[in-house]
Amino acid sequence: MEYKVEAHRIMSISLGKIYNSRIQRGGIKLHKNLLVSLVLRSARQVYLSDYYSGACLNAQSEREGNEWDIMDSEREKFPPSATECDRAESPEEPQQSKQPEASDKEREYRENDDEVKSDQADCTSTLQQEQNPNPSLDSVGNVSPPETINEPKESPSDSSVAERQSTPVANGESHQAPKTHVCSNRKRSAEESESGDSPQKRTKVASSNSKEDEEGEEMDTSNVSNLITIFGSSFSGLLSKDSAKPEAEAEDSGQICCDQMLKNLNPWSTAIVAF
Amino acid sequence: MMAGVGGGNDFQWCFSQVKGAIDEDVAEADIISTVEFNYSGELLATGDKGGRVVIFQREQESKNRPPSRGEYNVYSTFQSHEPEFDYLKSLEIEEKINKIRWLPQQNAAHFLLSTNDKTIKLWKISERDKRAEGYNLKDEDGRLRDPFRITSLRVPVLMPMDLMVEASPRRIFANAHTYHINSISVNSDYETYLSADDLRINLWHLEITDRSFNIVDIKPANMEELTEVITAAECHPHQCNVFVYSSSKGTIRLCDMRAAALCDRHSKFFEEPEDPSSRSFFSEIISSISDVKFSHSGRYMMTRDYLSVKVWDLNMENRPVETYQVHEYLRSKLCSLYENDCIFDKFECCWNGSDSAIMTGSYNNFFRMFDRNTRRDITLEASRENSKPRAMLKPRKVCTGGKRKKDEISVDSLDFNKKILHTAWHPKENVIAVAATNNLYIFQDKIN
Repeated sequence: MEYKVEAHRIMSISLGKIYNSRIQRGGIKLHKNLLVSLVLRSARQVYLSDYYSGACLNAQSEREGNEWDIMDSEREKFPPSATECDRAESPEEPQQSKQPEASDKEREYRENDDEVKSDQADCTSTLQQEQNPNPSLDSVGNVSPPETINEPKESPSDSSVAERQSTPVANGESHQAPKTHVCSNRKRSAEESESGDSPQKRTKVASSNSKEDEEGEEMDTSNVSNLITIFGSSFSGLLSKDSAKPEAEAEDSGQICCDQMLKNLNPWSTAIVAF
Repeated sequence: MMAGVGGGNDFQWCFSQVKGAIDEDVAEADIISTVEFNYSGELLATGDKGGRVVIFQREQESKNRPPSRGEYNVYSTFQSHEPEFDYLKSLEIEEKINKIRWLPQQNAAHFLLSTNDKTIKLWKISERDKRAEGYNLKDEDGRLRDPFRITSLRVPVLMPMDLMVEASPRRIFANAHTYHINSISVNSDYETYLSADDLRINLWHLEITDRSFNIVDIKPANMEELTEVITAAECHPHQCNVFVYSSSKGTIRLCDMRAAALCDRHSKFFEEPEDPSSRSFFSEIISSISDVKFSHSGRYMMTRDYLSVKVWDLNMENRPVETYQVHEYLRSKLCSLYENDCIFDKFECCWNGSDSAIMTGSYNNFFRMFDRNTRRDITLEASRENSKPRAMLKPRKVCTGGKRKKDEISVDSLDFNKKILHTAWHPKENVIAVAATNNLYIFQDKIN
């Protein structure tokens, strides 16, 4: 348990660092952020392996409750603003949009539009399994060039994700759909709060500066809690490359849970993609 | 007394000079970010976060004073880089000088390369000590005389003047790096040099600024698959076709430019297997290599990671031949060091002229030297307290546990804001330059 607390603490610190790196002078340092993301991944694996080794035997609904408990405890740590809270609670429409932080990074580091966001498409398509697509998806999607690049990729991943979701593989997997749902909801809520202000935020040359300023003010609380839940998914890229390593480290059930979930859901990999 | 590091048993390090403000309040722009001796050791260049370069020149040895060599005095100061703004990406580009590398001297002028995150500049530093005088083309008040009124041709005469050292940018190598430049290295052919950023290495010709060859590119097609970045690169000191680059995963790749235009496939791959017992959340961070330096002989190379320095034989790829622990007592503090960002500090390392000793920095203004032959090591401190002329430096010791002896300092008392990241060793003599935040300390040996 101590390990879990420590892991959680390290995750929070790491998220804070990633957030702060956006407002540092000189632009985002790729090396440092990569290292921070590696720590975050390690911490998260420990955190989740602790969680899942106990939880895999429980019923799905119970797990869902636990999931919310974890989210709530995180929220306690970083009390969100009222608006964030409300949005998180209500069912959200899916939006095909990147994380605000990630999208900023992407804008700041884009070159020749060669980033691929297939996993991000996975995330949205996952949610689409369960909820109706919202017209806002299209409107947000149309605003910036990278979104349009992603859209063609969405349909193939749709089917592949659907297949993965529907096949019950291990105990750990069966609760993934609700967890996905939950995570994505909160991610979307963060998305919406940020993006709701102005579609022009998605444009390249943009007001990344003004966006950062505004985020800087709210930073300490709601955004960090959202980031933590956002990180409830992610790093598919890092895991897939290092698949040999994490498998050696984590126990099996925890590993399967982590891996599957992490491969299916993205949003944060776009942070790395942004580079 | 742990003397003897660096050459001979009678060896003692002594304070020589310190440059920089004494003020406790350190201006960020004054923080020294790179230190480099030139090939002869006559010149010592520093770069700082404010984009300035200061060059010190050694005085001629004075015969009267007791055995101490000439002092380094300011020779030239110039603004190398200015802050810039990338409008396309809405990013500010820092003016901090990341690296300075001297070119070998080929004429009266001196040349150096300085780089910030994005742009490399070739500077010419030349002396002017004569001025042409005696023109009769202007009136006393400076107005040009009417040509018809000039009846005689007066040839100007060169008259001595106060020495003026001018620095002028001769080449600007820009727009070749998308990511932050971390290294530059002059090739032994003295015509080309390489520059490395997080994902790519480019080869330049010193005369050509509008293009460069990309020789290493580790950017994955899908950035989500990024797992490592380039952290340092250096050309081999003698073989102009060989260079190495280190990665954030603790590996070093040696490449031969004769093998292919794009050296994505290494010729040699140096990696030490990880010790599984020491695994932690931070294992990956502390294995990231912050500096790589070839020995002067070209037979060895040295790498610095967070806690240790390793010497590698180029002929053996599977493990280093020597490993020196710099501050192993920090291993149990990694979590705190992660929180305060110290774990990301990039320490450099350097060889002495004969490759018999190596030096690197630590915290609390400590720096460490290791003698490769005797296997002795010493910890010294760069501080104003030990700054009396020719004062001998006392070895320092960090208490790692148990009872703290007198004169020892406990790990928890270390000042992690006082870090020595940049050090340089004179190419021929036992003179070292140590950058402690905004101060430059020069130490030299005193032979008993």
